[in-house]
Amino acid sequence: MIVALAVAPVVLVTMLIGLRGVAAMRTTSDFLVASRRVSPLLNSAAVSGEYLSAASFLGVAGLVVKDGIGSLWYPVGFTAGYIAMLALVAAPMRRSGALTVPDFAEARLGSAALRRLAAVVVLVIGVLYLVPQFRTAGLVLSVVTETPYWVGVVLAGGVVSATLALGGMRAATYVQAFQFVFKLVLFIVPAMWLLIQAGPEVRTEAVQPSEFTHFSDDTTVTFRVGATLDVPPGAEVVDREGGPRALRPGAWEVPPGTTVTFADGTPVPEVRGEAVPGSDGWERPLLDFDDEGYPLLGTWSVLIATMLGTMGLPHVIMRFHTSPDGRAARRTAAFTVALLSVFYLFPGIYGVLGRVLVPHLYLTGATDSAVVALPAQVDDGTAGTVFTGLLTAGAFAAFLATSLGLLLVVSGAISHDLVPGGLRQLRLAVIGAAAVIVLLALPAAAFDAGTLVTWGFTVAASTFCPLLVLGIWWRRLTAAGALSGVAAGLVSTIGSFLVNVAGPDLHGWVAILVAQPAPWTVPLAFLTMVVVSRLGRPAPWATAAMLRLHLHEHRLSPFVARPQSDSAARDLGHSSWPARRSSAVRRITRRLGR
Amino acid sequence: MTGRRVAVTSPQTRLAHARRRYRGPWRPTTLDPAEMPRAIALYREGRSRAVAALAALGALIFGLPFLLWLWPTLDDVRVAGVPVSWAAIVLVPFPAMVAMAFWQLRRAERAERDLLDADADQGIGADADADVETAGFGTVDKTTGPDKPAGEGAS
Repeated sequence: MIVALAVAPVVLVTMLIGLRGVAAMRTTSDFLVASRRVSPLLNSAAVSGEYLSAASFLGVAGLVVKDGIGSLWYPVGFTAGYIAMLALVAAPMRRSGALTVPDFAEARLGSAALRRLAAVVVLVIGVLYLVPQFRTAGLVLSVVTETPYWVGVVLAGGVVSATLALGGMRAATYVQAFQFVFKLVLFIVPAMWLLIQAGPEVRTEAVQPSEFTHFSDDTTVTFRVGATLDVPPGAEVVDREGGPRALRPGAWEVPPGTTVTFADGTPVPEVRGEAVPGSDGWERPLLDFDDEGYPLLGTWSVLIATMLGTMGLPHVIMRFHTSPDGRAARRTAAFTVALLSVFYLFPGIYGVLGRVLVPHLYLTGATDSAVVALPAQVDDGTAGTVFTGLLTAGAFAAFLATSLGLLLVVSGAISHDLVPGGLRQLRLAVIGAAAVIVLLALPAAAFDAGTLVTWGFTVAASTFCPLLVLGIWWRRLTAAGALSGVAAGLVSTIGSFLVNVAGPDLHGWVAILVAQPAPWTVPLAFLTMVVVSRLGRPAPWATAAMLRLHLHEHRLSPFVARPQSDSAARDLGHSSWPARRSSAVRRITRRLGR
Repeated sequence: MTGRRVAVTSPQTRLAHARRRYRGPWRPTTLDPAEMPRAIALYREGRSRAVAALAALGALIFGLPFLLWLWPTLDDVRVAGVPVSWAAIVLVPFPAMVAMAFWQLRRAERAERDLLDADADQGIGADADADVETAGFGTVDKTTGPDKPAGEGAS
């Protein structure tokens, strides 16, 4: 009940702020980029609010519980991406005047085919990123309220698409800025409370990792997804009458939907193919996937994917277009680094406490819910319930905010790039896309939010990152080069994921490079772009198109006192720069607005 | 006489609507030749700045895991009970990245301001073409000047 009280305000405020945006919205430009009048601080709060998804709010702590301290490298990569963005992409991208990455690709290289391919990439990234958000919404609600998984998924889909279809980006900006503050408070305050409330014993245990071998209490575990456990001799469960019942040692196929209560003090079954929380290597600050013995490669792979992927995430890039100019876009990126850095100081606290207090979540693969499961372990009275409610509200805010931005980009790609149409079609696309994502999220309960989101980052890093970096900084890039590079990146990453999911069992460094393909797919995409571009000739206007991205908008302010120069000087103050700055965009939006 | 209102549009607009082609024909981006030198200067300055930023970021992102891998003993060294290596992946990268971001921001804004001041001093790039190095950009199509009138191609 208390949880309903916590989630309802988040949902209501989201919808209310969304409705407030409706009054001011008239055109596609309003809908997509809030007509570009958002201040850097508000915008960076919105960027951070949008960026801190379920993967950050819940996923990082869950990965720490499951894989170890090394998982704290994920947030480092998430933040580092904004520095690369600030240095390479933010201002020129904003100055291109393009609304989306496909728009940018067409404005810079003049290829309609590239635009459509870029729109397809947006769809792929959007799905990889949205499915885990909706899935986590369902999971969290089912953990804290005992409702079925699908209720949360459908609820999230309904709220997000309604807010967006009504209010668009103007609504999303305020919603996301509000939700950043909301999430920050709801993450930091419970973290402090947990640390204090847990007591010195748990705190000492938290920094002295030991393997999770015995249940320290009667522990009820709900298997939403089936699992195969290796039951050690002596394991006991508590049956319905309250008496102990010994489990048969050996493999145990647990059917989905089973609830088992393990008895106090009995040994813990092992999950096939997963490392036990707190086992050897858990305390190492590096990511050694599946204990293959290549911790450095694993860590670097994740860092490359997250850092370069951030630069290419379509919903983040679109956020920068809501800045009034390139300078504000750059400031937005810098402020975002600071805001994210504050937030990311805290997931580790939930992670190490979760390893001590809720290690049994690893049995069901639901470590993602560690954050919301913690307060009840520390305090089983009212305070625990209140903090569970607060964290649930924060988690809900996290996936609402991220889903808003992503759904906007996905529907934008459909109705702006693939099948051009007006504002009404854009709204229909929002609802259609949400319905498809909900359907995809329903059977995806077994996937880790962290895994799917990292895949989204990897796709972005191997497609849009080379496209943007070379498009902005290399004048010899040709449309053919960009097309083949993006295609190579997309095919290689998707192929790698398919091999990882359905292919043979791999070991050693090959396994890491298949599961985390960024170290080779990103160079592959860059190389393909460079080689194919070198084989052809850039268009005669290519250099002008590239250089214009670097010109700052306000260099000819009429308010700057100008010395009277000789009459031969061109009066650049009256060059049609402001009119030309985003002529392509204005033309598109004008036509769409009819 | 009914009160029905009829949209009055030019035949061309009706044609455009009937074609349902909302996007106009694509036109190449243009750059005023007089603004070229400034654009090149900004591009070069931005490029060296970006290289410096990426080098610093790369050193942090790749160097820190390497150091932690090199010295596993850091796991056993504890400050206030917390292993140093745990603290190192939270308390080192984030402050360092915030510092890096604001260093970059300051450099970028100062570079643009300096160029703006230089323009004001010189009378908005009057003869700047002669001063600024444009070597390496010789292939620029100098004819891509101010906007060509729309529909030029149709004539």
